[in-house]
Amino acid sequence: MNDVVLEVDHLTKTFRIHRERANSLKQRIAAKGRNRFDEFTALQDVTFDVSEGEVFGVIGHNGSGKSTLLKCMAGILQPNAGSVRVHRRMSALLELGAGFHPELTGRENVFLNAAILGMGRRDIATRFDEIVEFSGLEKFIDQPVKTYSSGMYVRLAFSVAINVDPRLLIIDEVLAVGDVTFQKRCLEKFVEFRNDGRTIVLVTHDLASVRNMCDRAVWLKSGHVTGEGDPKELVEAYTESMLGSVHQTETGSTRRGSGELMINEVEMYIGDNPSPVMRCSTGDDVRFRLFYTATKAVPRPIFSLIIDALGGATVSAPCSRDVGLVPDVISGDGWIDIVMRDISLLPGAYDVHTAVQDFNKQHEYDHLQLAARFDVTTGKPYESSGLVTLRPEWNFTDG
Amino acid sequence: MSLRSAVASRNLLYLLSLKELRTRYKKSIMGWAWSLLNPLTQMVIFSIIFLKVFIQIPPTGHPSGIKNFPLFFLCGLLPFNFFSITVGVAIGNVQGGAGLIKKVRFPHEHLVYSVVIAQFVTMLIEFSVLSVALIIGGNMVLPWLVPLLVILVFMAMFTTGVALTFAAANVFFHDVNYLWGILAQLLFYATPIIYDASNPRIPRSLRLIAAHSPTGSFITAVRNVMYDLTMPSLRDFAVIIVYSLSAFAFGTWVFTRLSPRFAEEM
Repeated sequence: MNDVVLEVDHLTKTFRIHRERANSLKQRIAAKGRNRFDEFTALQDVTFDVSEGEVFGVIGHNGSGKSTLLKCMAGILQPNAGSVRVHRRMSALLELGAGFHPELTGRENVFLNAAILGMGRRDIATRFDEIVEFSGLEKFIDQPVKTYSSGMYVRLAFSVAINVDPRLLIIDEVLAVGDVTFQKRCLEKFVEFRNDGRTIVLVTHDLASVRNMCDRAVWLKSGHVTGEGDPKELVEAYTESMLGSVHQTETGSTRRGSGELMINEVEMYIGDNPSPVMRCSTGDDVRFRLFYTATKAVPRPIFSLIIDALGGATVSAPCSRDVGLVPDVISGDGWIDIVMRDISLLPGAYDVHTAVQDFNKQHEYDHLQLAARFDVTTGKPYESSGLVTLRPEWNFTDG
Repeated sequence: MSLRSAVASRNLLYLLSLKELRTRYKKSIMGWAWSLLNPLTQMVIFSIIFLKVFIQIPPTGHPSGIKNFPLFFLCGLLPFNFFSITVGVAIGNVQGGAGLIKKVRFPHEHLVYSVVIAQFVTMLIEFSVLSVALIIGGNMVLPWLVPLLVILVFMAMFTTGVALTFAAANVFFHDVNYLWGILAQLLFYATPIIYDASNPRIPRSLRLIAAHSPTGSFITAVRNVMYDLTMPSLRDFAVIIVYSLSAFAFGTWVFTRLSPRFAEEM
């Protein structure tokens, strides 16, 4: 076991939520005796250690206490109980370019920002060229940073931060900066860091990076450590719980259209199993059943099923006209089955919308937004990111 | 504090002070001339009021024999402006440093120290100009610049203490910011800047306040060496030292106690 470089020991942090924010003396005196605030516990008895050379992830929802933990580790906030002990030269990147002054030149800001991050003047002077080269802003370094584009600004800030030369680096979700080339350089820098045996603590809700980069992780939920250990298992458990909560908070669907022919409900089945489900795995044979009601005879309708990823991107939108299935007339009640064998969707949550239109797609009988939501869990094949698998086959050839 | 972080932090202080000086007059055509124009304007206004409206006789320097109201006024105004501007700017600098305080761990007191240093440099420039004027006016101040510097260093310590206290308190109650505006105005008149505290026509109680209030003591001492060309008494020096040390100690104590809570309160 390597040396422990960061010890978080029974850390508890509470905040006062002022019901009436008393920012002036008068208000504070007027409210004397009745302290108008509620205690809010952001972190409760959080304990974990990080060892030298580890890449350690902290995951959790918004409001789970991640940021508070980060600030406590960085020494910005003082814990109410417990302690954070840091045994190596640490650099915490909460915000890039904190302390940049727009009127100062890039060069002046590099010196100032590096000093704020705790570097000595000689260190900065020796690393200055490296910092500027890394940012790729050699030509603009003597211009005031107010003339920089936001991308340039962030690049310079990141270059300073990454060159502070810490043994322990604590990073907030600030990594998605700059263009592709710059992101690649950042990633290389992290790998270099890691190969040097430095320690990285990554606080994020980008699950892919936790799964891919981290050796170990903790999962924070309402200020408590809910799980600790293997990042893959933790991310899996975290995803499950997050999807569960989405269903509970789902507010329902919205409908538009003239209404002669409506889709009442969408159900999903796996294989020949007769009971509907809300969840399938990559590679399952999935059947969607659309129940319809027609209040009068509707000639030549066409049906569409739209599957969107949670982010809104349409993954697939099969339409009955595309396969030439156009009934002459539809009336009364019934259902339509759409079977998708060996489904290619990768783990995540997906929304289903339905549409019923006339043959020329000029008139909309019905459009049911958010007819259903279902989850895809890890199955075969497995890929860590992306929406669908294209079922790749890998071949390595020597020489 | 380890030696390494102490060195690093000294560097931060240097760069923050430099930033204060560099950014102050960015985007202004007159630039640093503004720093001199402000006290000069005040000098013109008060000279007209003192000499032409109220028709007063300018105080005479003993033993220098100089009799010049504008110079008399500036000897008091420059150190007072240093004090009041520094405290005001320091309050704003800590409040405006919220973005930094909430995102980075660094010694917060540097936000105050850097203002003191930058304003001190400004004051030294102003005093160089004033010294030339005094020499032209017949006061050979060159040998007196050494005791002046000693007094100003103590004044800077005193100012730092007050600035630390007010800047820290302002994080919790923004009233402090406005309170300081009024307090500074009050102090301006309570301090013998436009009048001579030894003038026997002023009631004794007012004279005592004017001469021995903290700001009064410093301004009286500065005027001793620059206008009168005489050394302040040992007693006066002792008072100055006590004021500056106790203010500095108190300010440091308050700031150290309150600054760990800044990030939460901002």
